[in-house]
Amino acid sequence: MGFTDFFTDVVSSLGFSEAQAEAPAADVETSSTPQDEPAEKTEEATEESESAEETPSEESSEEAPEEEEAAAEEEEEEEEEEEEEEDEPEDIKPKLEEDCANSAKCAPYKHHYDECVERVTRQEEEGDDFKGVKEDCVEEFFHLTHCATACAAPKLWRELK
Amino acid sequence: MLARSLLRVPNRAIARQSLGKSTRASSTAAGAESASSPFHLTLTASLATAAAAGSAAWYYHLYGQEAFASTPAEEGLHPTQYPWVHQRFNKTFDHAALRRGFQVYREVCASCHSLTRVPWRSFVGVMHTVDEMKTMAEENEYDTEPNDQGDIEQRPGKLSDYIPAPYKNDEAARAANAGALPPDLSLIVKGRHGGCDYIFNLLTGYPDEAPAGAAVAEGMNFNPYFPGTGIAMGRVLFDGVVEYEDGTPATTSQMAKDVVEFLNWAAEPEMDDRKKMGVKAIAVLSGLFAISVWVKRYKWAPIKSRKIVYSPPYWTPPLNMMAEWPV
Repeated sequence: MGFTDFFTDVVSSLGFSEAQAEAPAADVETSSTPQDEPAEKTEEATEESESAEETPSEESSEEAPEEEEAAAEEEEEEEEEEEEEEDEPEDIKPKLEEDCANSAKCAPYKHHYDECVERVTRQEEEGDDFKGVKEDCVEEFFHLTHCATACAAPKLWRELK
Repeated sequence: MLARSLLRVPNRAIARQSLGKSTRASSTAAGAESASSPFHLTLTASLATAAAAGSAAWYYHLYGQEAFASTPAEEGLHPTQYPWVHQRFNKTFDHAALRRGFQVYREVCASCHSLTRVPWRSFVGVMHTVDEMKTMAEENEYDTEPNDQGDIEQRPGKLSDYIPAPYKNDEAARAANAGALPPDLSLIVKGRHGGCDYIFNLLTGYPDEAPAGAAVAEGMNFNPYFPGTGIAMGRVLFDGVVEYEDGTPATTSQMAKDVVEFLNWAAEPEMDDRKKMGVKAIAVLSGLFAISVWVKRYKWAPIKSRKIVYSPPYWTPPLNMMAEWPV
């Protein structure tokens, strides 16, 4: 236990994590997943048995298969929706920035930009008849974008991993 | 005129302080004279001051300000600053984010952008294991040394190889991208003003449509953060382009954040160690400084606290002076 070990201990206590060259053992996750699956299966089995008990009690036996089909279709649709949600997570950045652009803080920039867009589109509609300085809304767009992104930056970083 | 009137005041004040009562009469006489200074002197002084201040302002207006010829569009929108965690002085890279970022680079960026200064071995222990990197390196083929016949054969990659570029050379890259050269990304975070913020903004900042009246050239895309606003690279990051192996929702901004952090690692792989060394250096040097201060005070204590006193010896007058001495 040398004197320099004291400093090493102090540094290591500051929370610098060590980089591992080998993959960490992932036994915990793999052991837990098989336990969950049988539980789900038993639940499904009980549901099926319940529906099987219900169907004979009904007087009209013809309706029962239709209901089952409808139920199956609904389940399939739900699964598809879930898959779509998983495949395409929605980015919150555009929404945050739009909210920021519409907020009172960015109202002047938004006002100028909207006015410019209106003016320029009118000029474009006039086409060759328009005699004057051609302009674009890039500068107004910059000011609005700068305001909106700066306002949304901390909110976005709270959401991201 | 102005200078003389200004200079006169301190002279008089000094004179009043230094001279005694005998000169009081003359100084009071001078004060009475200046109190009733003629109007033309005041006017001249005011005009001279105004002329001097005015010419200085005019000169600053002409030459003082920085010459800036670009329009805002040519300059590009300055990147918004984001609170990057890994840029704080006491934080490391998020290595899970680095791993995700490398996945984004491999699946999205690597089709056009090279990363030629990063070898496969540098990932080992940082975001991947040895075996993972070996299999990744072996997926690529590299030239061998010339064999006995002088032929160059192909061999699978090793850990010591560098990540292969998507194009053979810059000309091939230009030809494949309509004349635009995709820059090498190894040092891109250091090589661009704004660094991480610039790249994040560039990747996520493509608007749905260019603002009204903006000129976008053929084959170019509008991006406010790129100087000149016309960039050859189109938007590449869309929600769900990549499926992360750790289950993180792959939104556009999440992928951009991860890949930017990865590119920062590619440019500064020594950052974690550098910060660790910095903490060690500060700890050791502050300890040494405290010791040196203590040693200095210890050594100087007797010198600082000693008192030098002269006590004259008792003096008896000689005999021949005794008669005159009135003791």
